[in-house]
Amino acid sequence: MHMFLTIFAGVPTTLLITVASLALGMLGGIPLVLGRRSRFRALRMVSRFLIETLRGIPPLVWLFLIFFGFGSSMTWMTALMASIFGLGLISCAYMAEIYRGGLSAISAGQWEAAEALGMNHRSVLSKVIGPQVFRVSIPAAATYGIGLLKDSSVAFTIGVTDILFRATAQSYQTRDALTPFLIAGLVYIIITIPSAWGSRWLDARLKNRVAR
Amino acid sequence: MTQSAQNKKPVIHLQNVSKRFGANTVVDDVTLTVGEGEVAAIIGPSGAGKSTLLRCINLLERPDSGCITVCDTLVNAGEQIGAKELALLRRNAGMVFQSFNLFPHLTVLRNVSLAQERVLGRGRKEADEVSATLLDRVGLADKADEYPNRCSGGQQQRIAIARALALEPKVMLFDEPTSALDPELGLEVLAVMKELAVEGMTMVVVTHEMQFARDVGDHLIVMAEGAILEEGPPEEIFSAPRHGRTRQFLSAVLER
Repeated sequence: MHMFLTIFAGVPTTLLITVASLALGMLGGIPLVLGRRSRFRALRMVSRFLIETLRGIPPLVWLFLIFFGFGSSMTWMTALMASIFGLGLISCAYMAEIYRGGLSAISAGQWEAAEALGMNHRSVLSKVIGPQVFRVSIPAAATYGIGLLKDSSVAFTIGVTDILFRATAQSYQTRDALTPFLIAGLVYIIITIPSAWGSRWLDARLKNRVAR
Repeated sequence: MTQSAQNKKPVIHLQNVSKRFGANTVVDDVTLTVGEGEVAAIIGPSGAGKSTLLRCINLLERPDSGCITVCDTLVNAGEQIGAKELALLRRNAGMVFQSFNLFPHLTVLRNVSLAQERVLGRGRKEADEVSATLLDRVGLADKADEYPNRCSGGQQQRIAIARALALEPKVMLFDEPTSALDPELGLEVLAVMKELAVEGMTMVVVTHEMQFARDVGDHLIVMAEGAILEEGPPEEIFSAPRHGRTRQFLSAVLER
């Protein structure tokens, strides 16, 4: 029981990394997807390059690059900050692709109706298209978020005291290579399953209100 | 140009407008004038370019050549169209689509209010008040807080009309407004349109509703293959079409 509580104490850190980097991704994905669909070829190329680079390099490599690479000259950067920043960057790319899928699900008639009303591009995006894209992106974003929660365990490699870090420490201490990791698995399940329920509930609620 | 259009101040004027999609010329050198308060009905077989022509009027389709004037805003297809001109032109021309295109994430009231706030700069309270009045006018005051998808097709189209009217346009463009509706639901939309016509709104209606074109319209335009075959008072064309293709089309739609 003591072991369980010790490992469980890593939950806030794991959640913080997940939620903060997902939030970064949800924000940063917006300019990326807008760039990806821009009228300007150069902007499209740059955005595409960024997205491919962010996604193409494994999270672990990103964390090492940021924490050991750039972090060595930025002494104020903690391991926690580096992991949020690294996973946040990757999330930007994935969220941009999720938004792109959402955008293509919005019918041309929505753009036309808003344009015919004389609304400028900015209003059309922020008031008509954007909210609908967010709405249709929820299931994919939730799936990504749950994946991110599990992937956040790479943060232990740079010393963030998340669930896995604590499980590893317990395993060294007790010389038990099985129980701490079984507990870690259980703790991850305890968070991921309600998250999946929550996202399904949110999706159903919105669908119910705005039947498509 | 018809008799009535000559007497009234022109609200819409198209001069030699053409639109091509690839090698396909969809609108072929069309010149057309619609006078103030006129109800112009555009009829013709499918693929005639009726909808494309209508969409050229508010520049949802950019014509390849020609000039378009709506109220006092002149747009030349050959030149870069400024954002200001475009906004001004669209403000004066409200549009109603075949598939309604209401915003599904907003309540009925907010659907009507949004553009007022964004385009006319009205405050939310004022916009919502105007919207409530307009919804009342199309008989849907009780639907204000519903979401569009909870409304029938006929109701959605009436909401779309209210949404377009909210910007106080000088002309209303209707793109087959009843084609996606059951005949009965179409009637309630036609009734609202008829009321608008009686109140003196200038309207351009692409339609397959011959009865409406005949009874409400005062300017009938028959199109085929991207060009205007003939135009004039509906009664004249319905009783004595000059063109063989018109006769063929009218007998197909009227004698079924």
